[in-house]
Amino acid sequence: MVKFTKEMKEALRVPGKGGSLIYLCTSNRDGNPNIAAMRFVATHMDDKILIADMFLLKTKANIKENPEVAVTICHPLDEGRWWVFRGKAVDMEYGFPRDFDWYGANATDILNEWGNWNKAEPPDEVPPDIVFPKAVQRGVVVVHVEEAYSIEPGHVGEKVLEG
Amino acid sequence: MTVNLTDRMKAWIEAMGCHLCVATPEGVPFVVLGRYAKATANDEVAFALAEDEMKVIAPALSENPRVAFGVSRQGGIRAAYQFKGTGELLRSGSVFDTVAAQAKEEKGIDAGAVLLVRLTELYCTKPGYEAGQRLDGMSPEDLDAWERQRWKDVPRKKD
Repeated sequence: MVKFTKEMKEALRVPGKGGSLIYLCTSNRDGNPNIAAMRFVATHMDDKILIADMFLLKTKANIKENPEVAVTICHPLDEGRWWVFRGKAVDMEYGFPRDFDWYGANATDILNEWGNWNKAEPPDEVPPDIVFPKAVQRGVVVVHVEEAYSIEPGHVGEKVLEG
Repeated sequence: MTVNLTDRMKAWIEAMGCHLCVATPEGVPFVVLGRYAKATANDEVAFALAEDEMKVIAPALSENPRVAFGVSRQGGIRAAYQFKGTGELLRSGSVFDTVAAQAKEEKGIDAGAVLLVRLTELYCTKPGYEAGQRLDGMSPEDLDAWERQRWKDVPRKKD
């Protein structure tokens, strides 16, 4: 089991609170990769990354057929945030059984706390020509992180977290 | 389909670099940074990769050439696009020589390989009703007009 560092937990939050814009990388079962930027991000326990399911299309379809994902910091990169987290994801959508468990993360707990993310952490810092007019959240993607490697120049590929 | 990168897209790609995503044939994704990027044609982008960066993606790429990338840093939000295509790792030849020399001069990167991505798909990733809209297949003029209706900002090159 991996354990996030303090710096990782600080980075894996919404940008308006000192966190980061992240890229969520998925793939379908045939190896067609997909990369999409995400704002609503948080950590849960010591080894879970949470991402709001808002406007997810291919990402959602990919996770439904293949749980293997990678999460990396898109912006800012200049604060030592050179990590790629790899693990298995599920999209905990409304309607999931209340006792659904993903590597120790409970669906009721997750949806109660993070199910109305736009209200809890509104995208005040997002520029007006980018921000969405209305948020519709369908669930929360929970990534169970199993390892992380560095993408810092000169150290690329080095393990920074191992399960 | 045909991808016709706009001048603004090229500017964001080249100024910020990109996050490059590949996957094994079974669907296990890997990511590295393409810190130096050069649009070598309207449907082609080359990335200079250091040896260690190349080693992370080479095993997957050797079995599955598909590549997806998004613009790094502020480009993740200001350049709301996903680019997809097929990638080839070059270790010699004129493209390698040119891009590797530019990457060394501009960013001090000792390129072990150049990843040349031939683009086949382009998507809008702006959150909201346009998320996922496919933009490849549009003529250069139509795509340019589509983008100009939304954004005009062009970044300064990142050191």
